[in-house]
Amino acid sequence: MHTVLIIDDSDINLTLIKALVLKLGDCHPVLFESPLKALEWCHDNVPDLVIVDYMMPDMDGLRFIAAFRGLHERNEIPVLMITANDQKDIRYEALLGGANDFLTKPIDRVEFTARARNMLNLRQGQKYMANHVQELEIRVQERTRDIREREKELIFRISRAAEFRDPETGAHIQRMAHFSAVIAKGLDLDAKTQRLILEASPMHDVGKIGIPDFILLKPGKLTHEEFEVMKRHAALGYELLKNSGSEILQAGAEIALSHHEKFDGSGYPKGLAGSKIPLFGRIVAVADVFDALTSERPYKRAWTLDAACKFLEDGRGVHFDPLCVEAFLAGWEEVQEIRQRFQDEDIPAI
Amino acid sequence: MNNFIPAFVIDRASILERLGDDVEIYKMMLDMYLQDVENNCSALATSLAAGDFETLLREVHTVKGLLATFSDDAGTVEAQRMETQLKCGDTAGMTDAVPALQARLREVARVLAVEVAR
Repeated sequence: MHTVLIIDDSDINLTLIKALVLKLGDCHPVLFESPLKALEWCHDNVPDLVIVDYMMPDMDGLRFIAAFRGLHERNEIPVLMITANDQKDIRYEALLGGANDFLTKPIDRVEFTARARNMLNLRQGQKYMANHVQELEIRVQERTRDIREREKELIFRISRAAEFRDPETGAHIQRMAHFSAVIAKGLDLDAKTQRLILEASPMHDVGKIGIPDFILLKPGKLTHEEFEVMKRHAALGYELLKNSGSEILQAGAEIALSHHEKFDGSGYPKGLAGSKIPLFGRIVAVADVFDALTSERPYKRAWTLDAACKFLEDGRGVHFDPLCVEAFLAGWEEVQEIRQRFQDEDIPAI
Repeated sequence: MNNFIPAFVIDRASILERLGDDVEIYKMMLDMYLQDVENNCSALATSLAAGDFETLLREVHTVKGLLATFSDDAGTVEAQRMETQLKCGDTAGMTDAVPALQARLREVARVLAVEVAR
């Protein structure tokens, strides 16, 4: 059903046009004698066609069209202006001002029907295109969401594969990822970045896949040579993830390479210091170490929370970025909630 | 109004042709004209008496459209002449022209009333 807005200060014209509109079929005419009232109606209603007289009190047809076109999303709606035969200058002005076509007085039914139908077909085409674009946008969003979900799942599974090879657990991945997001939030990073670090940080140790078992699973202290091999997991992880088209994998590569750097430059693999260390690396360093300290392992007992917090505080400016430690401790309630939610024997999905 | 203006004769065929031979709409238009004619006459007189020539111009324009709808070519030309004059800000002769236009509207009404009664 097409809504046709008709504005004419003459009763007889309104009635005539209404009758002609009804003869078109599938049309609902809305009539106004006052252009100002019609404009008010247009604020809350979207007509499919506007038929407006030129000469009216309070506001002429040209001013009405200009005001109508100025309303949000009314720029494309077809407008037919009614003019007398001798008003050529008005017609030119109306065309420039946004009228799509004209009707000449006295109104001729054949001319009216043809012009009104053309305008309604134009409108129908516009609506079809708008709906089609909207449908395509929704489908693209759905597909993008699906791809992202699959990407997240694959990342989690890759991360788990690496973690299976050492004493860390799936719950550790979840906790350190959420701790990283807490720090990102505390640093006032935007929601998208918080989400990115949550999804990318599980890949921090993916390079461990390339470390031999006798080193990775060694129960005792590593020798200097063994530790040098172990340190390679940062670069290996980077090599595995770098140059991806995925934003998450790119962030994962950066985190894998930089999460063992230390704020004073004594970390590895590059010995970067301060702000030279990528922010995601600085964030994950705090989250990863805190969770490793407070988790029980076959070779060690879990540290108390106080002891772990003291370790972070003591490491400010040495091992850790002070702002990241501050942001982590400021989100303490959330940290506690994450520890409750992701316990070692229970691994809910991210 | 010009004293030599010919009497109004209804041209049913031309009006119906413009209305797509829709008798229903044609009858509705006749009824509406007869209902509104005195309002149109009053509006012309009121604006003239008030010296409101802007409103008078608009009323004359409306009447021009009305007469054209019923194929009153002579009446339309006369209304057009008044409209052009008023647009130029020339109000001379309106005291005679307005009553003449009212008389034309009523003349057309009488003919249309006969048409309705047919």
